[in-house]
Amino acid sequence: MTPSWLAWAADALVVGGLLVLTLGVVGFARMPDVYNKLHAASKTVVFGVAALLLASVATLDVALVARAVLVATFLVLTAPVSAHAVARAAYERGEPARTARSVDEGGAAGDG
Amino acid sequence: MHDALVYIAMVWIVLLLGWVVALTIRSSSVSQRIAALDLIALVLIALLTLFSQLRGVAYFLDAALAVALLSFVGTIGYARFHAQGRIFR
Repeated sequence: MTPSWLAWAADALVVGGLLVLTLGVVGFARMPDVYNKLHAASKTVVFGVAALLLASVATLDVALVARAVLVATFLVLTAPVSAHAVARAAYERGEPARTARSVDEGGAAGDG
Repeated sequence: MHDALVYIAMVWIVLLLGWVVALTIRSSSVSQRIAALDLIALVLIALLTLFSQLRGVAYFLDAALAVALLSFVGTIGYARFHAQGRIFR
């Protein structure tokens, strides 16, 4: 049977993961352009989901925990790659950055 | 793991999912829409994770892994198509 402290630890991980996930979605909704939105979508949301996945350790089921670790590792490895691909595509299409005082160091995007 | 908390968390994640779908529809450029579709897959993975913990069944995490793989490949392909007009060089 699951020890009670492990159940409470899993509850704490679920609440923390939900909080971080919600902050990521709020950040995605409120950031001005796609470059800033990707910060919230790639880093914050992935670590929120990873905390939720880690909470499955409390089930003490080997198959479930192994799959949770696999999914978390996959997400942590691939989210930066896909975020970079999206940001690069936006940059190559010349999508302007809407942040104040933003600097285009590549010079390939059009009039920011 | 207390079941009541997992139910509340699942309702909360479904609300977040609805918000992200609305963000996807209302996004103002193609690259924002690609990023929002990627975000939909991540929220869906969170929902499947909680569901597998509630039921104590590992198969939902297989579905989550499949969603993660498809969303990764789809995001890369869509971003390349958006940037270059073709996926493969």
